[in-house]
Amino acid sequence: MSTDSEGPETDWDDASDDAADTYGPDDGLLVIENLTKRFGGLTAVDDLSFAVEEGEILGFIGPNGAGKSTTFDCVTGTYRPTSGTVWYRGEDVTGVATHQLVGRGLARTFQSFRPLRDRTVVGNVTLALTPDRLFSLSGLRGTTRQRAVEMCERVGLGDRLHQTPSELPHAGMLRLELARALATDPDLLLVDEPFAGLAGSEVAELSELFESLRQEGITLVVVDHNMRGLLSLIDRAVVIQFGAKIAEGTPEEIRDDPTVQEAYLGGDGL
Amino acid sequence: MSADATATRGLVGLLDPRRYGIRHQAGVVGLVLLAVAPYLVPTVWVRNLTIALFFAMFAMSWDVVSGYTGQISFGHAFFFAIGGYSSALLNLELGLPPVVTVPVAVVVTVVAGLLVGVPALRLRGPYFSLVTLVAPTILLNVFILFSDTFGGELGLDSPAPILDFDDLAVTLVANYYLAFALFVGILAVLLAVTRSDAGAVFTAIREDEDAVAASGLNPAKFKVFAFALSAAVGGLAGAVFVHTPVGNPNPSQLLALTVSIEVIIAAILGGMGTIVGAAIAGIFLRLFQLYLGTVEYVVPVVDTAVADVDLLLFSLVTLVLLFALPGGIVRWAVHGGGAALDNIRGRDTATDGGRDPPDRDALAAVRESWREDVAAMQARVPGAEPGPDESAGGDRR
Repeated sequence: MSTDSEGPETDWDDASDDAADTYGPDDGLLVIENLTKRFGGLTAVDDLSFAVEEGEILGFIGPNGAGKSTTFDCVTGTYRPTSGTVWYRGEDVTGVATHQLVGRGLARTFQSFRPLRDRTVVGNVTLALTPDRLFSLSGLRGTTRQRAVEMCERVGLGDRLHQTPSELPHAGMLRLELARALATDPDLLLVDEPFAGLAGSEVAELSELFESLRQEGITLVVVDHNMRGLLSLIDRAVVIQFGAKIAEGTPEEIRDDPTVQEAYLGGDGL
Repeated sequence: MSADATATRGLVGLLDPRRYGIRHQAGVVGLVLLAVAPYLVPTVWVRNLTIALFFAMFAMSWDVVSGYTGQISFGHAFFFAIGGYSSALLNLELGLPPVVTVPVAVVVTVVAGLLVGVPALRLRGPYFSLVTLVAPTILLNVFILFSDTFGGELGLDSPAPILDFDDLAVTLVANYYLAFALFVGILAVLLAVTRSDAGAVFTAIREDEDAVAASGLNPAKFKVFAFALSAAVGGLAGAVFVHTPVGNPNPSQLLALTVSIEVIIAAILGGMGTIVGAAIAGIFLRLFQLYLGTVEYVVPVVDTAVADVDLLLFSLVTLVLLFALPGGIVRWAVHGGGAALDNIRGRDTATDGGRDPPDRDALAAVRESWREDVAAMQARVPGAEPGPDESAGGDRR
């Protein structure tokens, strides 16, 4: 998918045409093929195809409103795609309900944080450790809570266990989202805009956490609207605009890509 | 919200071991009082207490689905009526004894509840509530349409009693204990379910269904379970009710809109999502209502006896209580009692560093999720302006 030497307009077509032809169910841990999502007259995701390889950290990049979260929503069962296919571990999971995907090891965080405001930080995480059964007393045994505490410590919320979500700072809410997702024991974690609104030191801390998760065997897809914070973290990036893929490759390739630079108004965004 | 959250405590506070002792003691004292009540009060009040116990069961039935999961049912009388009418009809038409008809009625109620609930629970927030509002109305119209079978607006004849003795007083006391046993049984089952993991999932659904799904739990499964459990409890209470001297299978006792509404008021006044609150407020609200009906004092200016305007007065008092204690009596008592104890023991809750479980008003949670549900629904309507843009931007709220 070399896009370097050609003009922006042809690149655009090439990229999506290539993608449409190349992907099959077993091309990665998660494979998205010809995914389209329309809301009324608006096409939020437009014939998007890409694959996530096991063990990598993939950046999923695009300007605000490019359709990144909608893509996530289609992959994780929040929305049913208008057309297209999602494969996870070689199985067609298009339109499969969120909780089933989570059960199979595909977890996500929400860009607009979704904590349970009626319980503490550790209570939020405990819920994600609760088995999906009607009759269960796991909460009454100490082990679940112990694991929830460990999970909170893992993401750096160890000193805020008994606070409510509304008492957490922005970075804390993000950590809580991560703790809840990690508590479901995922193999693939989709992280929606983790670096938005974070200070530099927090970005570094978080990048470290992601790297350590990858060492443990978790595959990560990290969404962001720019690449600045991502460059050192990710192995590969997929860049989308208006719901369609405009580039794919290593961070360096992406940075030098004229189409991407065009999309970000002469490279401002990068 | 955050300041309030640390200062007060709510649902989770019910499980706070610090206050376990006193609250449980109070509960036991209350149950013992109920157990010996027939020997303490005149016979007519034994009858009223029996009615109140059944009403409390109805309120608990509402609370386990609506109070806990936030799926607000405006038509819980649907369950009471199906339970009561099924049992009565099986007894009157086929001559089956109550010991057979009551369990069958419970099954019928659960099946009817699932027929309405499974499709309705796919709808969120206010859209679910509208379906529950319509369901008992349809049932009432069916009853009126087929008056030969269902007795129309007047209802059916009294079916065979479960407990009947020659002496009326003995019969009333016996039936009181029947109601009391049923009340304790239902209370125990509902407390067990809501204090297990399922209860934590129920309240999480009330907060945010998407977050529950993202935690790997199937919200639909837990909602249907709560709904079926509620139907079983409501159907059971309704079925036994019609076989006692205090209840009859007629719309005004089992199916009227006022029945559905009073149940909601009781559960909210007691403390939504606590079970105990619905039980306590259910008993006291019905007793208060029955008491007002006996007051013969004539109000001077309007020149009317209290007994003649009992329903108006009852509604006014409930209204005031709803404004004064939106979190419910049980939360208020537990919080007030807890704070008082902390003062006595010299414990300063404010410096406890967020130790206190958050007090999240259940009604506020429902209100918030309704707002989101309506916004999400509007976003899905093709051509609606803000919807698609927001979705593409990634923020569905």
